[in-house]
This record gives sequence, C-alpha cells and structure tokens, in this order.
Amino acid sequence: MFINYEHEDHVYNVTIERKNNHYFVTYDNTEYKVQAEEVKPGQLKIKIGDRIIKSIITEGEKEKFVFVEGQVFKVKPVELTSMKKRKKKDEGDLSSPISGKVVSINVKKGDLVKKDDVLMVIEAMKMEYLIRAPYDCKIKKVNFKEKDQIEIGQTTVEISKKED
Amino acid sequence: MFKKILIANRGEIAVRIIKACQEMDIKTVAIYSKVDKDAPHVQLSDEAINIGDPIPLESYLNIPKIIKIAKETHAEAIHPGYGFLAENPDFAKSCSDINIKFIGPPPKVISLMGDKIAAKTLMEKAKVPVIPGYHGEKQDTSSLINEGKKIGFPLLVKAAAGGGGKGMRIVHSEKLLEESIESAKRESKSAFGDNTVFLEKYIDKPRHIEFQILADEHGNVIHLFERECSIQRRHQKIIEETPSPVMTNELRDKMGKAAVNAAKAVGYTNAGTVEFMVDGNLNYYFMEMNTRLQVEHPITELTTGIDLAKWQLRIAAGEKLTLKQNDLSQRGHAIECRIYAEDPANGFLPSIGRLTKVEAPIGPNIRDDSGIYSGMEVTSFYDPMLSKLITYSENRNDNIKKMIWALSHYIVLGVTTNITFLKEVLNHAEFKKGNITTHFIDNFFKDWTITKDGLPVDAIIALAVYDSIHTKSKEIVRYKEEDPHSPWKHVGRWRVGGREV
Repeated sequence: MFINYEHEDHVYNVTIERKNNHYFVTYDNTEYKVQAEEVKPGQLKIKIGDRIIKSIITEGEKEKFVFVEGQVFKVKPVELTSMKKRKKKDEGDLSSPISGKVVSINVKKGDLVKKDDVLMVIEAMKMEYLIRAPYDCKIKKVNFKEKDQIEIGQTTVEISKKED
Repeated sequence: MFKKILIANRGEIAVRIIKACQEMDIKTVAIYSKVDKDAPHVQLSDEAINIGDPIPLESYLNIPKIIKIAKETHAEAIHPGYGFLAENPDFAKSCSDINIKFIGPPPKVISLMGDKIAAKTLMEKAKVPVIPGYHGEKQDTSSLINEGKKIGFPLLVKAAAGGGGKGMRIVHSEKLLEESIESAKRESKSAFGDNTVFLEKYIDKPRHIEFQILADEHGNVIHLFERECSIQRRHQKIIEETPSPVMTNELRDKMGKAAVNAAKAVGYTNAGTVEFMVDGNLNYYFMEMNTRLQVEHPITELTTGIDLAKWQLRIAAGEKLTLKQNDLSQRGHAIECRIYAEDPANGFLPSIGRLTKVEAPIGPNIRDDSGIYSGMEVTSFYDPMLSKLITYSENRNDNIKKMIWALSHYIVLGVTTNITFLKEVLNHAEFKKGNITTHFIDNFFKDWTITKDGLPVDAIIALAVYDSIHTKSKEIVRYKEEDPHSPWKHVGRWRVGGREV
C-alpha cells in the first residue's frame, strides 16, 4: 500500500505492508519493522525495536491530526494519481488570512499604491487584520465592499506590478 | 449567602464560577447561545437558558435579555465572569436597578476605571506613579498627531475604553501615526462602542506586573501579591507566573501598598487587579485597574491557597473579609499557560473547526480550567481561548519543567493550537533566566515555525499504520463478500497486537 502525505508543502512517500504480526513501513529508503496495536479508537501503540511510539490520530474533514511526543502535526493525504502541484505562495497573493468582516477599503481600481500601504481592513473576533501592499503596485480589482463577509483564503484585492 | 445566581458568560470561566457555587450550595443559572447548547457550562449548571443567536450582541452582550432571564429565574445575583459584560457599567446598573446584585464593584467605579483617562488622572492625584502621555479631551486626528509628536516615538495609541490589546497600536514613526490613530479608533468603536483614544510614552524593556486586590463592602482592602504577565502576543497575555522573577520583598511591599491605595482611592469593592508597567530599573507605573476576576487568577489561588471566586461571592453577599494582610503569604511558584486555538506560525491567527480529540494532562499540582470537550466546534463568534493550564511547584525551575511536561501531555486535535509554541517559550534560555519583557515574543519568536525539520519519522510510521488498519479493514470486508476465494479472506484472521481485525 502506497501513501503520500502532505505536510507544510512537503510530500512524504510511504509504503506499508502487513505480514503476520508485523507492519513493514518504508520511508526514505529505510524499512521499519514494527508491531502495532490500536488500543483505543485512534490511539496507537507502536513497537519499533525496543522503542515504543505512542500516537493519537484523529480525522478532520480533509486532514488528519497526529499527536506524537507532545507535538501535533496536521497532514493531508495526497492522491497518488493527481500529485498536487506545490503552489508556491506568491508574495502578491493578497488572500484573506481570516474569516471576518470587511470594515474598510482604502483603495479602488486603478490606484497606484506604495509598499506597505494598507489596502483593506478585515475584522474578526474584535481584532483588525490589515491587508498591505507587498510592493509598489497598481490595483487591478477590489473583490469586496465594506461590511462584506469575507472567508479565509479569498482574494481581497488583485494587484499588478507597476510597469515602469 | 445567595441561594441562586446567574452566570452571564460562557467557556472556562463560566465553568469555574459554577464549580465555586456548587461548593457553596448556591444554585446556578447558565445562559447559552445556539452554538453553545452542549457546552460544559450548560451541562454543569442547575438551569440553562437559551439566549438565542450566537452573535455576541444578540447573546452574551445582550443586557435586556440577560436581565429578563435573571428576573424570570429568580436569580439573586449575576456573576459576569471576564470579557463580555464584566466591565460594562450599564450592565452593573441594570442589575442594581432591579435589585439583583452585580458580583463586582459598583457601576460608578467600573465607569471610572473603564475610562482610562479619568483613571490615570485620579491615580496621579492619589500619588500613584503614572506613565507620561496625553489623556486629553481633544480627540480630532490633527490634535492627537500634535500631542503624539510632543511625547515622541515610539509611542502607544490606546483605546480609552480598551483592554486585552484591542484598539491598541504601537507607533514607531510619525509617518504611521495618522493611520494608527484612525485604525485604533475604528477598532475601539466596533469593540467597545467608543472611539476615544489616548497616547502615552512607550516604556523600554517593560514588564507587565499586576497586583490582585480583594476589597469588601466594609472598607477592608488587601492585596494578594503580584502576577508577572509579561509574555504576551498581540498585547494579550499567554503565560503568567507568580512570584515575578524580578520581585523583591521591598518592591512587593511598595507596589502592594500602591495597589491597595489605588483601590481605596476609588472606593473599590470585590476582586480587582491593579496593573503596573515596570521598567528595566524597576520603576513602576500605574497602567489600569481591571474591575473583574482576571483570566490568570488561578496562579494567585495556588500560591496563596485562597479561592478568589468564592471570595467574590462572599463579598457580594455582604460578608466581611476575614483575611488580614499580615496573615497572607505566598508559597511556591505557579504558572498559567493559555491554550488558544490559533496558529503561532501564522501571525497567531485564530483557528476554527471541530475538536476531534481533547484530553487534558493529569498529575500532581496540575490544574486545567477548561471549557472544551471532544467533538466541540470552535467557532469564530467568540475568543479562541480553549482552556488554561496551571501548574504549581516549590520553585520556578521545577515548575517550568512541570509545565513543559503537562503541555507535552495535553492533547487537542482538530484545530491548530499554541501548545508547541508555549513549550518553546518556556524552554527558551532567556525565559528560564527570568529575563522577560512584554517584547519577548516579538524579540525571540518573530518568525517561529512549528517544524523546522518537517514531519518526524515517528509521525509517518504512526500515520501509515493507522491508514493500514483503517483503509484495509474496509477492503477486507469487500473482498470477503465479493470473492470467497480471494487471498484477502485470510487477512480476516490476522491479529495485530492481539486484536481481531
């Protein structure tokens, strides 16, 4: 069984086979022979040599959460056939960092703005989040108006690098 | 003593107050918004009343609705918790108007201390040191800009009605002053309904040290020592401890007396906190007085052995303080870590979603004040604080280790939390030495990310095993049904660690 996991923009390729009482996990050209028991739903006790890994795994809507050695990792499974192309976060990507309400818009289409100018103010949980220009640029499109509800990841303002 | 009170709050603080009431045989009425119908405070209370829409203004901030419920349920008093209506003088007044006791100071004191400008002026008169700044009435932007230039940079723009970092801006240069004033005014308007701001000098290497006060309604005021709350992000505390690593007996005595004087100067009653800014040379300045039970009150409870929530109830019921200042002592060391649903690697943005698993650490001298459970939905309607973890030990070094152990055994899955971040702060060499200021997080954890080394091999193995157990078992069933001769049918007899698959 081949599985790919995505964690913070990295994809990890893993193979696991079950033979008798053991699992054979291959990752990064190393094979780990382990014994495992799911002691409670999602709670694993894994014996690897004379070491024991205790881990708790739960499933969210799209991702899995792994608790191991006091740390939590959020991991997304990746379909083998459609290896997700890693999208490099463009510094001109002005997506909303939070779901909230647009409280003010300081620019309109066609405006020329300077680096760090505030383009839009979004409020959530009584805190304000400022969308700033990443560099000197021209406003191509403003996707929201004041008092609009905005969801996390939605593009607030579209910009283009100023042509000299 | 009261027979029944209403708790106008949610989350861990509502739970904390209900537990105090139960120990004192006081019946409790909880209120809850639609999204909180299964919340712990609803489960624990004797009565729970649905207050409607989750939007705070329609629920936990809705004074007429809450007052109506208090009347209908015959509650004799209302405990406001912290946040929401805790420091709202109109609410306190609405309670006293219908002869329901508001568990906190009188409305007049709340308004006075809620108006940070008036509070500072009063403290200056009472000879409590205050930070230089502009607390004037001219609130137009150009006057404020002029005053700001006089004070010099860096300076702070603060909402007069603010708290918890809301409506607060640090301004490093004149260029950003106008924008910061306007944005602070807007934020303050939407959070507190008032856009008055003031400006003050920004203190170098500042520590935030506050003193807990208890004042009864018969003129007795005591302080219960300090809390060091310098570790903050976005101007909100995340780690608090007591005693403060810089405190000396002499300074404690001086600041404690100043705090008691501050409380006496305003005719304070019930539990309150006097916040001071302390600079690198241990000069202290009055910042503000919080007229409520603080989030971080448990560390004082652990080091003094005094139950602050119960004393709030006793004082509100008219009882006299039986505690005398000279009889109080501080013993050992306590730390509180606030567990937030937020992403420290991404500007501490709140994280929402369903908590797929919650399991708190259990051990000697570990306290978990929590308002969450497995399966609970964390929404964007309310503050993203999930719980507070508090540990107690003989001394600071031992206690840091205990807290790190406890955090390592705190399981919260389903949303991103700050648990790993908190551990790294506690593990930081400067934190361990006690060299902390309110800039600590900005100075040392600016570009912090959770995993420098990516996914550890143990996590990968655990995931693969989990997926192997869970995906294949479904396939096995299918193969068995479809093809009785399939080699997979033998899989059904495999035993993994002694358990039939």
